[in-house]
Amino acid sequence: MSSHHSTSEGGAKRHRTEGPQKHIVAFILSLALTVIAFAAVAAGEINTTFTYIILVAMAIVQVFVQLAFWMHMKDKGHLFPIIGIVSGCFVVFLMVIMALYWVWW
Amino acid sequence: MSTHQHAEGQLPHEPEKATLEGRNKILGFWLFLGAETALFGTLFSAFLALRHNIGDGPSPQHLFELPMVFAATMILLTSSLMSVFAVQAMHRHKVKEMVGWLIATIVLGLAFLGLEIYEFNTYVSEGHKMTTSAFSSSFYTLVGFHGAHVAFGVLWIGLLILQIFKKGLTVVTAPKIYVSAIYWHFIDVVWVFIFTVVYLMGKVG
Repeated sequence: MSSHHSTSEGGAKRHRTEGPQKHIVAFILSLALTVIAFAAVAAGEINTTFTYIILVAMAIVQVFVQLAFWMHMKDKGHLFPIIGIVSGCFVVFLMVIMALYWVWW
Repeated sequence: MSTHQHAEGQLPHEPEKATLEGRNKILGFWLFLGAETALFGTLFSAFLALRHNIGDGPSPQHLFELPMVFAATMILLTSSLMSVFAVQAMHRHKVKEMVGWLIATIVLGLAFLGLEIYEFNTYVSEGHKMTTSAFSSSFYTLVGFHGAHVAFGVLWIGLLILQIFKKGLTVVTAPKIYVSAIYWHFIDVVWVFIFTVVYLMGKVG
């Protein structure tokens, strides 16, 4: 975190040395989200719809965590990557809707 | 400051973004990932539409074993962490350390592949073949396509390690390392949806 100080103020030691902490935090977060998803299924006592909601929510949160931290999308200068991924997701959304509701049902 | 001198002087802090070519390579790679997202989307939508059509074949509840899927997930997640450490080592210009993390990344990638091959092998012996049902076809296409991406990533990062040994870390090789790390994380992101949609939802029914 706080990884993007301006690099303009001079001196030899101008650039940040980013520590591994935030990536370990992202890892632990992903781990926790994964465990929750698996536990929700392994427990098997919750009703199906609710389990689905938990699963989808955990997956979406985990994808955001990984995109932001590991794929650097929270860093500056990532407008085009975000546009690329969001447009891809838009296509996916349309495709899933079409396959599930318009074509097969 | 750094002991790794570049031909034109000091290697910049973020060598992957030091040249226009490097920045363009990263941008182009993101556009490719947008297309990959759409590609996996088609496979996911086909799977979602067909997953209840099991015909005479075994059902997902009968087939899937959560401990094995959980192990595969942990392996891929850890390998993603190794990959991000490699990029951090690159930013500190620690070439040996970077190569070490990259090797850890591909070793875990190979472990994941081995587990997947074992898993598919088990399924086939239980009568869940490619042509068994619409469910089995869409399952093998989707999960196999992801496995093929992992295999490609292992090969790619392996070749990059060889190139690093040959050419060292420069503003030309650094964008390749960075982009391969982005690719590896993307594979991990796709797996998040696979274990959720295919395995966990399959187990729930």
